[in-house]
Amino acid sequence: MLIKIPSALNIGLKTLGVDVEVNIASRGMPSFDIVGLASKAVDESKERVRTAIGNSGISFPSKKITVNLAPADVPKEGSFYDLPMAVGILSSIVQFKIPESSLFFGELSLDGSLRRIRGVFLMAIFAKESGIKNIFVSKQSANEAALFKEIKVYPVERLSQIVAHLGGKQLIRPVECQEIELELEKRTAEFDMSEILGQEQAKRAVEIAAAGGHNIIMIGSPGSGKTMLARAIPGILPSLNKEESLEVTKIYSVTGNIPSGGSIIRNRPFRSPHHSTSLVGLVGGGDKPHPGEISLAHRGVLFLDEFNEFPRSVLESLRQPLEDGHVSITRAGGRAKYPAEFMLVASANPCPCGYLNHPTKSCACTPREIRNYRKRISGPLMDRIDLYVEVPSVDTRNLSQDKRASKFLETSATIKKRVEKARSLQKNRFQEEPIHCNAEMKNSHIKKHCFLSPAVEGLLSKAGSSFQLSARSYFKMIKVARTIADLENSKEIEPTHMAEALQYRSHFHDELN
Amino acid sequence: MLLSEAVEVKPQPTTKIMEEGVINIEEEKYPELLGKIDHPPRKLYHRGHWDEDIFKNCLAVVGSRKMTNYGLMAVEKIVKEVAAAGVTIVSGFMFGIDAASHRAALDGGGRTIAVMPCGINLVHPEYQGELYGDILENQGLIISEFEGDFPPDSWTYPKRNRIVAGLSKATLIVEAAMKSGSLITAGFAKKYKRKLFALPGPITSKVSEGTNHLLKNGASLVTSSKDILDFYGLRNSPLRNSNGQKTEGREREILELLKSEAMEIDDISRKFGLSASEIGATLSLMAMKGLVFQKGRRYFANFN
Repeated sequence: MLIKIPSALNIGLKTLGVDVEVNIASRGMPSFDIVGLASKAVDESKERVRTAIGNSGISFPSKKITVNLAPADVPKEGSFYDLPMAVGILSSIVQFKIPESSLFFGELSLDGSLRRIRGVFLMAIFAKESGIKNIFVSKQSANEAALFKEIKVYPVERLSQIVAHLGGKQLIRPVECQEIELELEKRTAEFDMSEILGQEQAKRAVEIAAAGGHNIIMIGSPGSGKTMLARAIPGILPSLNKEESLEVTKIYSVTGNIPSGGSIIRNRPFRSPHHSTSLVGLVGGGDKPHPGEISLAHRGVLFLDEFNEFPRSVLESLRQPLEDGHVSITRAGGRAKYPAEFMLVASANPCPCGYLNHPTKSCACTPREIRNYRKRISGPLMDRIDLYVEVPSVDTRNLSQDKRASKFLETSATIKKRVEKARSLQKNRFQEEPIHCNAEMKNSHIKKHCFLSPAVEGLLSKAGSSFQLSARSYFKMIKVARTIADLENSKEIEPTHMAEALQYRSHFHDELN
Repeated sequence: MLLSEAVEVKPQPTTKIMEEGVINIEEEKYPELLGKIDHPPRKLYHRGHWDEDIFKNCLAVVGSRKMTNYGLMAVEKIVKEVAAAGVTIVSGFMFGIDAASHRAALDGGGRTIAVMPCGINLVHPEYQGELYGDILENQGLIISEFEGDFPPDSWTYPKRNRIVAGLSKATLIVEAAMKSGSLITAGFAKKYKRKLFALPGPITSKVSEGTNHLLKNGASLVTSSKDILDFYGLRNSPLRNSNGQKTEGREREILELLKSEAMEIDDISRKFGLSASEIGATLSLMAMKGLVFQKGRRYFANFN
């Protein structure tokens, strides 16, 4: 007797339909075999399925059972074929009909309960696209799938529930479909800007970075608040819209980063990998290419603390994704393309000991040590970082009493409003371009969209000689000035905008004296 | 700094003046003042055009490698003016006060002599190649008693210091810790009965302990270039004054504030109750006009 149960397979962010064919032969020695390029995890299913069925109070048939995972030439990974296999075998013993157009996936525990699996969201999208009506999935993962009206998602806790449901004895209530827009409203609060005392210039730089999607580097002594500033950035970026959220959820689903019972990702991602992270960990890869931190930071913030402690090769690998907004990884085990449109927020100490220019502590580094320390960040990488800001160490005790300081304390919500306004101006500006924000402008876009009045042009060329700006810095300054103008809702780039932009030029590789 | 870090770097061929030579102690051209010290170097290797005039009025300016912003400002003001009046600035080419003094002399349009702790073929520290070239291009000299590629060592530095003091009628110590090479140079100057100037410093600063100690023990206190120029019988020559331009409104207020104390942008913005964005824009413009300059996080008023 042959039973066919539809299931699916995730390769990168793509999903492929897989048929689980279960044949229970009436003749032959009792056995249980799986064919169809099953990996170790799939092969081990045998024991899980056998024991789980036994522990659900149903005796496992002593017959020759063969399972084929079709198409047979694509390697199968993961433990979620447990459920379709078990359902296939059960249907032959308990005699129930498998409903039309249904997808099953789930990992079985030995006691017959279902465990959470990853990639459910992608499978739900696949189901929607291929017109499937029902999905049976473990209860913890059900919310992840219940986002489309067309699909009924059945949360299954135990194998015995499915038997009862399909046998028509006790039906499982499908999960209520969640409106994505409503889900997005349930954002959790982020770290708020108003909690950071002082740092007026650094906060302003962060605001500009958020408004134009610029990458930013913060230089400051330990404890000056670089990490706090970085953590506050997701809260001032415009909220994720539906499309963005779905993109992010895909990546989080496939990497198993969606918490139990969670559905879509509502907040902008904030990733802060440690500086010991490997190249593969950062950009993605591995035997079967999986997404790295840069993809997990897609549409959000990638915060690299201790920027120049990262190995050079790891940092340089960021250059291409920073330019392209995605990363293509090819390995023997397959090929995958992951999106990686993130805002890079880097932070570093000014020198190896960390106390250069510190108001009270003295620096113990020689100029040579400082030069070598700074040289670890290459010029080409610095070129991709538009804003540079030095974060001073502040005496918070004094500041919390200083009324003049509290005048500048703004909540993230206030700043966010300005950022959103600036972003909407950019959206209009780049309607006919393939880019979204000022930071993505190439030279041709700058020529087209950033008109410089003679006054501004004069200012910039004067700055070029007094501050020794490189050609790259010129363009960076124009982009930043454009964003500052957007923040002030100004059509033209005014000289004051350009003058402010010059504050954020990089002095990182300047001569020290 | 470890001595083993000294890297042999040949001066870049971009330097046009590559004139080299050796001056023996018997020669007429040998600097007179240097010949009078206890153990004058037998030979002086030099790079750059040997012009006896350069040794006529020499001022040694030495100080700590750990230069503070205060030290830098003092050098940029005093040394620049002294050099502009025609005094040759002699120093040891080390980073910190030494390098700042050479640079200030060049900025003032004066001449400067770098006495190396190693052979004249080496640029040490090696990343100051640009300064090395600039000294030569402005009729300055690179001299050493060590030949060619002789590497610097812990004992060559004090030997070098005796030449720095020996060449000069007077020595100015800008910033020095209690136990430092600068105080060794000061000791030589005293021994050779030369005039010793010292810059007073804050009592809280480690690198002013040495100079304050010298002042207590008879060194002459320096508060302006006039103190030094009077000794040489020279007068302050008018400098190109970049402050000639008029400042008004906010710029003027900021400049007045910075004249009394260097400040960070956040502090300035709090003081005026204006956003960092506005103050930042103003400071950028002021920096381009040469009214202020930035060091690390802080902005300084330009005194020149």
